[in-house]
This record gives sequence, C-alpha cells and structure tokens, in this order.
Amino acid sequence: MREVAVIGVGMHPWGKFAEKSITQLCREAVVAALADADVAWREVEAVAAASSRFSGGKGWGLNGNDIVEEMGPTGVPVYNLSAGCAAGGNAFNIGHTLVASGLHDVVLVVGGEKMPKGFIQTSGVEEETDLEYLRQLAVGMPGPAFWGLLASRRMADHGTTEEQLARIAVKAHQVAKHNENARFRQEFTLEDVLTSPLVSYPLRLYEICPVSDGAAAVVLCSADEARKRATKPVWVASSTVATSRFADGVPRGLATVVPPGVTHHSEAAACVRGALAGAGATPEDVDLVELQDNTVYYELAFPEEWGFCEPGEAESLVERGETLPAGRLPINPSGGFLCFGEATTAMGVFQVCELTWQLRGQSGARQVPEAKLGLGQTLGLGGNASAVVLKR
Amino acid sequence: MATRRVPVAEGLFAETPDGPRLLGSRCVSCGTPYFPRASLCRNPACHESRLEDASFGPGGTLWSFSVQHYPPPPPAKYDEPYAPYAMGLIDLDEGLRVLARISAGNLAALVVGARVELVLERLYASADGEVITWKFRPQ
Repeated sequence: MREVAVIGVGMHPWGKFAEKSITQLCREAVVAALADADVAWREVEAVAAASSRFSGGKGWGLNGNDIVEEMGPTGVPVYNLSAGCAAGGNAFNIGHTLVASGLHDVVLVVGGEKMPKGFIQTSGVEEETDLEYLRQLAVGMPGPAFWGLLASRRMADHGTTEEQLARIAVKAHQVAKHNENARFRQEFTLEDVLTSPLVSYPLRLYEICPVSDGAAAVVLCSADEARKRATKPVWVASSTVATSRFADGVPRGLATVVPPGVTHHSEAAACVRGALAGAGATPEDVDLVELQDNTVYYELAFPEEWGFCEPGEAESLVERGETLPAGRLPINPSGGFLCFGEATTAMGVFQVCELTWQLRGQSGARQVPEAKLGLGQTLGLGGNASAVVLKR
Repeated sequence: MATRRVPVAEGLFAETPDGPRLLGSRCVSCGTPYFPRASLCRNPACHESRLEDASFGPGGTLWSFSVQHYPPPPPAKYDEPYAPYAMGLIDLDEGLRVLARISAGNLAALVVGARVELVLERLYASADGEVITWKFRPQ
C-alpha cells in the first residue's frame, strides 16, 4: 500500500441554511478543498461520497453523482457510501484505499447533509421486520433514549454526577466559540446546561447534539503527487472501518445476549484500536481526538473503551481540564457534534478537516499545542464505525 | 364491554397459563437466546445452528433506564396528553438483555439493579382498542 496525503480540506459552516440545497453546500466545501489543495476539478480521478439519508442524491443516496454533475461531468468513477452516521468515515476509508492501492493518484472525498427539523426518525423502513422500526413502534425509544440508558448506567457504576456530565457541554462551548465553522458559539455556564430541559434522563438539551446542515470535503493524493505539488501535506497514518460484534452489550434490535463484561460499541473500539495499531501508535502518542459526541456521555465512555484511560477515570480528566486543547488528552477541540450539530453523514469528513487544520497548526485559539498525531472516529446506525489517524 | 386488546406486533409476546412471556428462540447447540424469534443462530462461535422456540420472563434485573421527557418522533405513538415514560434494558434471568418500557407510577424511584417482572400493558389507545406491548414493572 502507498502512503496517502491530505493536501486540501474545505468546509461549509454548520448551521441551518434553508435557502441552500445540499449540493450547493457540498459544492462550496469542494471548491474550498480544491483551492486549498491547489488542484483543478479536472485533475480529480475519483470521488468517494457519503450517501445522505435525508437530502439530495435523487433519493438513492447518489450524492457523489450530484456533486460531479454540479462540478462538471468528467466521467470519473463515483463511489456513494452508506453507513448511517459513519458514512463520511466510510467514504474517507474508500477514498484512502483508492489512492493507497495505486488505483488513483488524486481523489476527492465529500460528505454533506441537510437535516429535517427536530428529533430524527432513525429508520427509513416502515416494516415490522426492521428491528429499528419495531423498537420505535413497540418501545417508543428514539436515539437519545439509548444515550440516556448508557449515561444512567454509568452514574450507577461510577457515581458520575449530573454536574460532571454538564461540565463536558461547558467545555465544548468554551472551545467552539473560537471556531468560525461551528453553529453554536456562545459560552454556557454550568447552570445554563443544568437548567436546560431534560430530553432523555439524565441527559439534557444542551448535552445532546442537535441536527444541522453542513458539508465537508477532502482532497487525497499519493506521496509522489504530494511532493510534485510541493505542498506541506498531512499524512494518513491509517484508516479503518468495522461493524459491531456478536454479544455487544448494546442491543441493535430489541435484545442481545447478556455479555460477560463491558463490550459496548464494539465497532468503534475495533476501529480505533485497529487504526492505532495500523499507525504504529499507542494512546499516549495521540495529541488530539475528534470523537462522535452525539452526547456528553461519549466523552466519558469512549476514551475508556479505547484504552485512553481507566474505567471511571474520565470524569476527573474533564474536571481537571485535561480534555481542553492544552490538556493531556484534548477531546473535540473543534467543539464537536455538541456545538456543530450533527449533519449525520458529513461528520467523518468534518473530522478529517478539523484534524488537518490542527496538524497544520492553523486552528488559532483552539489550537492543540505541538499537535503531531490526531484520531477521528464515527459511529453509525447498523453497527457501523470508522476511525482515522492523521499525522504531520 | 371489555376493551379489545391488540398486540403492537404479532408473535412477540403471549399470555400463557404461567403468566406473560416474551416469545423468542434459543440455539440448542450454544445456548444463545434470541428475541424476537430468529431463523439462524448468529453466534459466530456456534458450530451448528439449532434453533428452538423459547419463551422468556417474567423475572429480570434493571440494567439501566432512561425517561423520555419529550414526545418521540414517528412511528412511536402515545396517548394524549403526552406524559413522560421510562424505558430500560433488562437482563432477564435466562441470559437475554431486552429493551422495554418500564411500567412505574413513580419514575423518580427507579434504580439500576432493581428486580423487575414482565407485564403486558397498554401502549396507547387506538380505534381498534388498546394497543398492548411488553413492559417491566419493578417488584
């Protein structure tokens, strides 16, 4: 496999943009990424795109084709990747593979989404044989309730307090105020978070990511091409995709077998551990993490499930400020999903943009000092996950 | 006249002479329990899929719970006016971890680790009658 470089990134800010189509959001991100890479559209040899669940793509998830039509039909191969909220990460993984394998020298990865208003109905299939549908029909259990279950179990296991959960949202807004692409940039006090309405006990409105519109794009190329273009690339140390394993402690349908120990989010853990191994890195080598914080709970659970700290230790990392950009384990210095809102299938590409800016030292007031190695991770419906390790 | 009771979906639960039960399967080869019924054992370590019908319940332990404070999006349905309800993950004594509604008058009294038992109760009222689902009630 060949070395692969990130030579350009671009992002349309996250927010609500009623007047713009998803393709327009994507086009603005693609134009920015191509300009950043100093690559012309006609030089792009293939496109790997996240398939949107909610908009564009002719209703078939053909969002990559929409972009090619918009930019100019050059006849390039288009790969539309569907993996729930992990779709952007999957698209990046395929884009990476296309370059690493030697099949293509310059590849565009893109993810965009325009989200419907309010809490989303996760399943798009209305049949009782679809367990996601059946769960919502028979138990009345939308996505945030899952996070509530996990968070309340953590409170019982580790004595996590509501104040500790709220502190993570305060931290997110503390860094997002410096990010011009973030949707929510105002600072929150602990009291603001703790008095926001309960959504799914114990989680409150400001502790759960809302949905947003947004788009991000990345230009990947081979090492030879990167040198020829005399850019200062960021390197893809590894990129992984996985699905959940049997006896994962979080049921994806209505039930699972009671697992012998803690085996939650096996797909995310497999991806992250695999990505670190592929990069020849240990958790200590990671300078920053962009993880999928659909809720504050994940900033506590994921670092432990991935071996970044001991079970029950994450709360004290947050309280000591260790997850801030200048701390020992900076988590989501972008502001994360909490402050961007989730443009579901775009998030894996968003993370690569944020990691790239950090590794280039272009992140301004939210910059992680001396960032050399960054980890990104997504988790999606269907037991999908992706991870990426970038290095400078 | 008694209100007609309509199951939210067919084949998921039944009222038996021994009380309410969830209807699923168990693999005779490896012991893995399934709910709803499965047609193939999905345990990658199992050498031969040999599924039999099995019923589960009524006893279990509340692994965790959450309270739904806002009306859920479709296809979930509820009685108006909306009232918050609890859901949980229950570890049944037969080794099955199942998602369910919690039937409790006092949501504030719910605790992780509580013993619970299976009940078949109203989810919401429809024109056809009371729509019934499986729930667990603290003992």
